[in-house]
Amino acid sequence: MKLASSILVGIAIVSGAGAAGAGESTGGIPLGSKVPAAVAKTKMKNVDGKMVSIADVTGKAGTLVIFTCNHCPFAKDWEQRIVELANTYAGKGIGVVLVNANDPTTHAEDGFDEMQARAKSRGMKIPYVVDDTSGVARAFGASVTPEAFLFDKGGKLAYHGTIDDNRKEPDKVKARYLKDALDAVVGGKAPAVPETKGLGCGIKFRG
Amino acid sequence: MLSLLLAATVLAAPAAPAPGVKVEIAEMPAILAAVKAPGAAAVLVNVWASWCEPCREEMPDLIRFYRDHRAQGLRLVLISADDDDQRGEVERILGALGFDGPAFIKHGNDMTFIDALDPRWKGALPATFLFDGRGTRSRSWLGAVTYDDLRARVSGLLRKPQKNQPRSPR
Repeated sequence: MKLASSILVGIAIVSGAGAAGAGESTGGIPLGSKVPAAVAKTKMKNVDGKMVSIADVTGKAGTLVIFTCNHCPFAKDWEQRIVELANTYAGKGIGVVLVNANDPTTHAEDGFDEMQARAKSRGMKIPYVVDDTSGVARAFGASVTPEAFLFDKGGKLAYHGTIDDNRKEPDKVKARYLKDALDAVVGGKAPAVPETKGLGCGIKFRG
Repeated sequence: MLSLLLAATVLAAPAAPAPGVKVEIAEMPAILAAVKAPGAAAVLVNVWASWCEPCREEMPDLIRFYRDHRAQGLRLVLISADDDDQRGEVERILGALGFDGPAFIKHGNDMTFIDALDPRWKGALPATFLFDGRGTRSRSWLGAVTYDDLRARVSGLLRKPQKNQPRSPR
């Protein structure tokens, strides 16, 4: 844990001459993993003031954890789509929680008050919580916002990655990675594309 | 600290034309052509954005390292993840830092872009990648870099310095 933290908090130097092959881990807990036990019951402050853990929101059909924040332009561009997916699939048996692991001393916009304002203005019907040590993000191996982890009804990681293939132009999206993965999990199937990547902001880990 | 101050100064500066800097909007094949064009002993590729604070903080060191070592065959390729309409701001920042090398705003699919640079990278900004003169990636920095980080890892790939080669002021 300590080693993983140091890699994620500071700069990670990755050496190697050859290109890594397709299917190589993209970082983060591997597919098939369960929610890291060390943080599954970690209580995090929700925008409504209540304390919520990932275990608390576990859904019958699956569980979606998205690391996001307020300040990041990438997260902002995807924010409405994230909220729409979260609200929609919360009604289909998916437990959803949005997690802000950023240190607000780095970006004041990532503070709790702005989270509350954002949740209200975006019409979030799901928890948006503060990972106040960044320990949950570290345990997941999350490093970018936004970054989604979708667990199936058996609690195994079925999808990890970004939201879709066009941050800038929602009407030109061709591949709805997260939505397709949610549909698969709700239907009891494995997502056809279980891992994706997208440009994003590095998580501003707390010290 | 100087880098931070310089980055802050660049940010605060009024918009102005930036002679010597032309930022191209391009997809990955065109960007890779610039990375792998013959003639360099080593190529640093940095992915950044004008609004990204750690990116702006490392940029003065990156550009200073490039200026100090380009005579030894170093090429620096800067790729911005900004939106197209921020091209003027990207050019202003790079122009204020005196950058005159290849610079792009990236277009196209993120995964194709990320995997072309390093499949182990998840896409968080900033990130810097080192390629040798044959276009083979030898090092990745996932996070902000410093002049000393670069000196420790890049110098071995470069040609020998000529006597009395000038250094950029810190």
